[in-house]
Amino acid sequence: MSRAMRNPLAFWGLVIIAIVLALALLAPVLAPYDPDAIDVKSILLPPSTAHWMGTDGLGRDVFSRMLFGSRISLLVGFVAVGIATLIGVILGAISGYYRGWVDVLIMRLVDVMLSIPTFFLILAVIAFLTPSIWNIMIVIGLTSWMGVTRLVRAEFLSLREREFVLASATLGARDHRLIFRHLLPNSLTPVIVSSVLGVASAVLIESGLSFLGLGVQPPQASWGNILTEGKEYIQFAWWLSFFPGMAILLTVLGYNLLGEGLRDALDPRTNGKGKK
Amino acid sequence: MSFPFRTSGLLCAVLLLMLSACGPSQQPENHSPDWDHPYPPESGGTLIDAMTGEPSGLIPMIAGESAASAVASNIFNTLLKYDKNLELEGELAQSWQVSPDQKTITFTLKPDMKWADGAPLTSADVLFTWKLVTDDNTRTPYGADYKLVIKAEAPDPLTFRVTYEQPYAPALDSWAGLQVLPEHILKGQDINTTSFARKPVGSHYYQLGEWKNGERIALVRNPNATQGQARIDRLVSRFIPDPASQFLELMADNIDTMSLSPIQYARIFPAREELNRKIALYKELGNAYTYLGFNLKHKPFDDKRVRQAINYAIDKQELIDGVLLGLGEPVASPYKPGTRWTNPDLRPYSYDPEKAKALLREAGFADHDGDGILDRDGKPLAFEILTNQNKQREMSAVLIQRRLKEIGISVNIRVLEWASFIGRFIKTGEFDAVVLGWSLSLDPDQYGIWHSSQQAPGQFNFIGYNNPRVDRLLEQGRLELDPDKRMKIYHEFAATLLEDSPIVYLFAGYGLPAIHKRVKGIDNPAPPAGIGHNSYEWYIPAPLRRNEISAQ
Amino acid sequence: MIRYLLKRLFWMVPLLIGISLISFFIMHLAPGDITTTEAGFNPKASEESRQKLRELYNLDKPLIVQYGLWLKRMGTLDFGTSFASHQRPVFWEKKDDQGNVNPGMIQEALPVTLLINVLSLLLIVVIALPLGVISAVHQNRPPDRAITVFVFVGFAVPGFWLALILMYWLGVVNPWLPISGLHGLGHENMGVLGRLWDLGKHLAIPVFISALSGLAGISLFVRNGMLDVLHQDYITTARAKGLPENTVIYRHALRNALLPLITLLGLSIPGLIGGSVIAESLFAIPGMGKLFYDAVLMRDFPVIMGILTIGAALTLLGNLLADLAYAWADPRVRRGVVQ
Repeated sequence: MSRAMRNPLAFWGLVIIAIVLALALLAPVLAPYDPDAIDVKSILLPPSTAHWMGTDGLGRDVFSRMLFGSRISLLVGFVAVGIATLIGVILGAISGYYRGWVDVLIMRLVDVMLSIPTFFLILAVIAFLTPSIWNIMIVIGLTSWMGVTRLVRAEFLSLREREFVLASATLGARDHRLIFRHLLPNSLTPVIVSSVLGVASAVLIESGLSFLGLGVQPPQASWGNILTEGKEYIQFAWWLSFFPGMAILLTVLGYNLLGEGLRDALDPRTNGKGKK
Repeated sequence: MSFPFRTSGLLCAVLLLMLSACGPSQQPENHSPDWDHPYPPESGGTLIDAMTGEPSGLIPMIAGESAASAVASNIFNTLLKYDKNLELEGELAQSWQVSPDQKTITFTLKPDMKWADGAPLTSADVLFTWKLVTDDNTRTPYGADYKLVIKAEAPDPLTFRVTYEQPYAPALDSWAGLQVLPEHILKGQDINTTSFARKPVGSHYYQLGEWKNGERIALVRNPNATQGQARIDRLVSRFIPDPASQFLELMADNIDTMSLSPIQYARIFPAREELNRKIALYKELGNAYTYLGFNLKHKPFDDKRVRQAINYAIDKQELIDGVLLGLGEPVASPYKPGTRWTNPDLRPYSYDPEKAKALLREAGFADHDGDGILDRDGKPLAFEILTNQNKQREMSAVLIQRRLKEIGISVNIRVLEWASFIGRFIKTGEFDAVVLGWSLSLDPDQYGIWHSSQQAPGQFNFIGYNNPRVDRLLEQGRLELDPDKRMKIYHEFAATLLEDSPIVYLFAGYGLPAIHKRVKGIDNPAPPAGIGHNSYEWYIPAPLRRNEISAQ
Repeated sequence: MIRYLLKRLFWMVPLLIGISLISFFIMHLAPGDITTTEAGFNPKASEESRQKLRELYNLDKPLIVQYGLWLKRMGTLDFGTSFASHQRPVFWEKKDDQGNVNPGMIQEALPVTLLINVLSLLLIVVIALPLGVISAVHQNRPPDRAITVFVFVGFAVPGFWLALILMYWLGVVNPWLPISGLHGLGHENMGVLGRLWDLGKHLAIPVFISALSGLAGISLFVRNGMLDVLHQDYITTARAKGLPENTVIYRHALRNALLPLITLLGLSIPGLIGGSVIAESLFAIPGMGKLFYDAVLMRDFPVIMGILTIGAALTLLGNLLADLAYAWADPRVRRGVVQ
């Protein structure tokens, strides 16, 4: 981690993420208004000292909604990635450890899932189930575990051949001990990187679903649905699309920079000094 | 470290892009013509509009969706039509006569009418169309009205006669809704699958010129039109699903007309002088009202006091101000405000939270457990409002939720896309309350919506309304042909409905069409029938036409 | 090579079965059966058409029989006709008894989406290659950092937001480009060049938006691939021989770094066929994304199933082609030395 922090990209990524997380956690303290407080007398006011980011179509304070919306957007990101990582690690570990026909089966499943456009799958499932924030998180999770599975499997395959693992195995260590003591901890690095990148994708997917009206339910605010409301008035009430757009941009950027920085720092091939 | 500078530089660039995109347009308008200059009527030109959806076919009785009827209404004629003041007049029919026993209507057709392909249009075509719409093999939801006809005949080419078992007051209105199809083309074909739906032959002002799947439909003038010649040569409807894109197209002068949202009408246009120079705004009485409907089979909505309490707790003016920016009217009966069928004595429930609370107390609700939510028999007063993906309905639901919370009712909102909404909740009756709209028909008969016999899955009385008095009035209204007596019946019906409060009327929004000023001949202010009633008289003077079109 | 091809073809069979299972599962995800979700109030027509649908999809038969029949339909590429009242064929054109050719829905939408995505892929490669190389050559120095941030901003910006800004900026404020649609109004009357110009102008913003989001993936891939190669022994040897740095980079390193790109392009095929629901509805482009979304909204199951299946099958085909290309370019793969 400390090596990653010497990479300025990763550092700034982390700074952005830390700020967004802090804002999300402190939303109730920081928000000047109740995010759902309607005021039909102050519809679509531009930013001012009273409303830092203006007001929306029902006169609600955009700044307060942005703060609370960050919680939803991040929640979607974390839970979806949590699900995907869990599935990916389990399947990848099974696949890489036991190999044989289990491996073949799981890898074919990965190929099948990768061959169907993910967003189509998500759309179909969300629309057939009723849209709710939990369904969204679960479905994003269930459709984005394939990368992690491949990574963990590859790590397992290569780690299995390493001396320390072979040594434990010949000493009679049991499967679960091998998996949990040796293999899993040593293959977590790429998983962390891909999870960090996964949060970024999930935040974007949520905003896309909101655009199609399949996002979180009103009056709940998320960056995606504030941005979607703003798209109707992009030439007039620019603040309604600018702030959530920038928030999504910066957050996704932050996660990507951190993820890529971590990958760079942790990957011996690409960190510049290592010559094979 | 140089890197942070680069980031902020990049951000600045994005910011600049945003700001320049958001600033008012600096486009010089020197070369644009004077759009307000009056010109004498002339033929020619192309009118381009935008539709969010593509018709699935152009036989309206089969296709069903609004996009299909919008296009088809320019292609097919009906026997009767409503004039600008919403009185019935003949379209294909020159005249009509109702028999003394009021059971038979005889239509006399205008002479020498032709289909667009030159074949004669006669009463046989009307009879053929009637047979189609009442045929059990025809997959249409619109058959009910016409099945009440026990005998239909075409004794000579200009006479069409229908006989009902008993007098049927909405009959004439129904004949203003049936678009006549050509027998000589459709005879022997399966109407559900015929290719005619994609290459229709009609008799109205326009005929199909070109249909580019997923892109546009172009109509061209029908030289054999039965109602004379329209002035504009071509009507092009582009399919643009996203309203934000439609508005950009309107601003860029790539489409001539679209329906505006209240924000666009009341906020964007006043702030943009350059838009007002070339685009004219109109306001017409809405064709629909929005309501909060209860599932009357669910507790506690079987209790009239609860329904009334909710009605008192909702501030309709706030809805009109907040959702419509004032561009709408409150409603107290299910008819177009200002028309004969609207009972002028009725007022919407006032906003009176104290009265609402008193009614709920009377119904046995109180906050026994101190959680801020009223309860009765240990059950909290909480329910879910369902609505479909419609911005105004969504906003209304949010405002209602807030007001009901203030009197101790907990409301949850769920927004669904239309197919789930209808298929899984409305047809199965598994909902508490809905925010939806009904369109306002011109005939006062609303048997299908309110009569207790109309509750089967897929029928319109899905809220389960069952009031013997309303049933009786609806039955009487169908038998009464005298307009004044009929009016009294429906005034009483509306009063009963309002008192019983099976739904809460929220508002009727105005239609807000924007039309480019190159289009002349538009009636302003809009007559009761709306802005489009004389669209065949609209014209686009040659100097104001688009360049690309004159190349045609 | 033939053996390799046969082996690969053999491996596609289980994948196709997997795809059939997933699409079958999705069809049965909708509660009740697919006939209950017909959109619209229609008391009379619904019962009748529901029965017809049940028969068509054999919903009265046991699940395993239904699945078998579905497999058969898939095998013959017969996805039936749309539920919508136009009842157009889902996949490919059919002639009716009067000789009217009714074009298939996927048949019309797929080329549009493919065109946009191939163009955007070309744009991505053209931009991402130099960016990746510059990044690798200047590893961890300001140009590398700037490029990384730039491509990530491209990935992170919500596409529809940027699209609307560009549509407004380039379509309204400075009316240089059309805002939506695929063809201008007078399209039929233009010459070939005019039509291409017209089409190009309509596609400019959609292709740009689509390319921007894909830039990050490819340019980082090229960067990391280059770094990988630059640390290999033979590059060191080449440098030691005193070859000019440019020759080392472009003649030796880049060629080898580009090989894996073939596989990556193969992997991007689902995106190529999938199309973007959001961009297509914003730009009013009748492609696969819009077709799929409309079908989902209308519960048009034959179309949904058709798109999922055809899309996945084409993806497999694309991956196969990519692998073959790779095998052709790198004999080690062919001989099974490297997986």
